[in-house]
Amino acid sequence: MSNNAVENFEPKILVFACNWCTYAGADLAGTSRLQYPPNVRVLRVPCSCRVNPQFVLRAFQRGIDGVLVAGCHPGDCHYTTGNYYTRRRFLLITRMMDYMGIDSRRFHTRWISGAEGPKFQQVVTEMINEVKAIGPNDKFRDDAKIEVKAVETNE
Amino acid sequence: MSNIQNEMRAVAKELLESGKATVVLGWEKGTMPYDSTPVMIRSAADVDKLIWDEYCLQNLSTYLIDFINTEDKVAIFAKGCDTRAYNRLVHDRRINPKNSIVIGVPCSGMKNPKVAAKTPEGAEVPMANACKECRYPNPVACDQKIGSDVTPWCTAKDFSDVEAIEAMDADAKAAFWKEQYSKCIRCYACRNICPACNCTNCIFDQSASGWCSKDVNASENQFYGVTRAFHVAGRCIECGQCEAVCPSDIPIMLMNKKFIKDIDTLFGNYEAGLVTEGTTPLNSYQVADPEEFM
Ligand code: SF4
Ligand code: SF4
Ligand code: SF4
Ligand code: FES
Repeated sequence: MSNNAVENFEPKILVFACNWCTYAGADLAGTSRLQYPPNVRVLRVPCSCRVNPQFVLRAFQRGIDGVLVAGCHPGDCHYTTGNYYTRRRFLLITRMMDYMGIDSRRFHTRWISGAEGPKFQQVVTEMINEVKAIGPNDKFRDDAKIEVKAVETNE
Repeated sequence: MSNIQNEMRAVAKELLESGKATVVLGWEKGTMPYDSTPVMIRSAADVDKLIWDEYCLQNLSTYLIDFINTEDKVAIFAKGCDTRAYNRLVHDRRINPKNSIVIGVPCSGMKNPKVAAKTPEGAEVPMANACKECRYPNPVACDQKIGSDVTPWCTAKDFSDVEAIEAMDADAKAAFWKEQYSKCIRCYACRNICPACNCTNCIFDQSASGWCSKDVNASENQFYGVTRAFHVAGRCIECGQCEAVCPSDIPIMLMNKKFIKDIDTLFGNYEAGLVTEGTTPLNSYQVADPEEFM
């Protein structure tokens, strides 16, 4: 990877945002006109606990460079306990990703409430900058699939 | 060993003749000296097929799933790991303990059939990988027992192989796993033999769901490997059957043991397959669990 390629690289970051807090936090960041780079795609989920680790693996396979799973602070889950399960699950998966050789800077879990627009801005900005610095993800990628997809869109 | 074998045959005969069992699951001699395969016996006249030697590696508990909707009364012979597998299946409500009789057999460690296949006859064959690290050679629960308990040769979990991978840098780790999983032919033998992989509908049989593709490439194979390991995380009873049956010699236990190690470190030491009630690490939580996501 040449330095030039890394400099021009615009990472794709996928955010799984819990409907009840982080999604509202992202919305607040927007209505407050807090700026952050446009590399983020937000995918709304009913609870952070909805995020099956397969979703994260699938994202990396299909060419995403960084994944953020974000939900309510422990104790604040709309379904009372969902995020406690999220926490156990992703403590393990974060370590497994590292074990498989995926740079741990590419994958984060964070608690971001509906009132934390600035935190949303800060977390995604930091993540985009970090992933920009380490370059595109080439681990776990299913390049065959990505090419097929590109052909389909060009039609 | 032959004393145990004689006792096995006698017990099987008695159970079948008295009608306490309609089927007995044990091992018979296979085509090779290093090959002892499962056998299903329905008639007292056939009990002499039963054998007990150092290659009775295969776990028989998973076969009980096939009997959940039958009226059979099934007796199985079970080593230490097999009784943990039995508990796993009862815990997961996949077998009916009322329809089964577990005959515990303390085990001194089975030999590695894969190595035996490549070893000249008469030469020493090492123990199977999982047996080397076994902490429960004696049945953890059974209805009756044959033979006497042995002294376990391991008392603590050994994670040195996992630590060796953890010590590698990210690129080396990725290269290692990519190479290993490029060999996977997706035969699903590891899943089929696993007592923790007991789902009625496995996601890997539902390729139309969009979750998993049947493509056999390093990416999809790793997705399979991690997903299966995660599905058994907190439930894997460390029998090593998955790795033992893998035709491509993929070090599957390195994945399972990584989860076991992290579960022990993060949520407290956990021994799967010792009980049949209560929660497992991933279907429970503690408010005081480690917090890294603030
Ligand atoms: S994952 Fe492997 S070691 Fe664990 S229970 Fe299943 S077959 Fe046994
Ligand atoms: S791979 Fe997962 S879904 Fe399939 S049988 Fe194993 S635990 Fe069940
Ligand atoms: S047994 Fe080995 S080759 Fe077969 S699916 Fe499992 S890991 Fe792949
Ligand atoms: S509802 Fe937000 S984490 Fe459960």
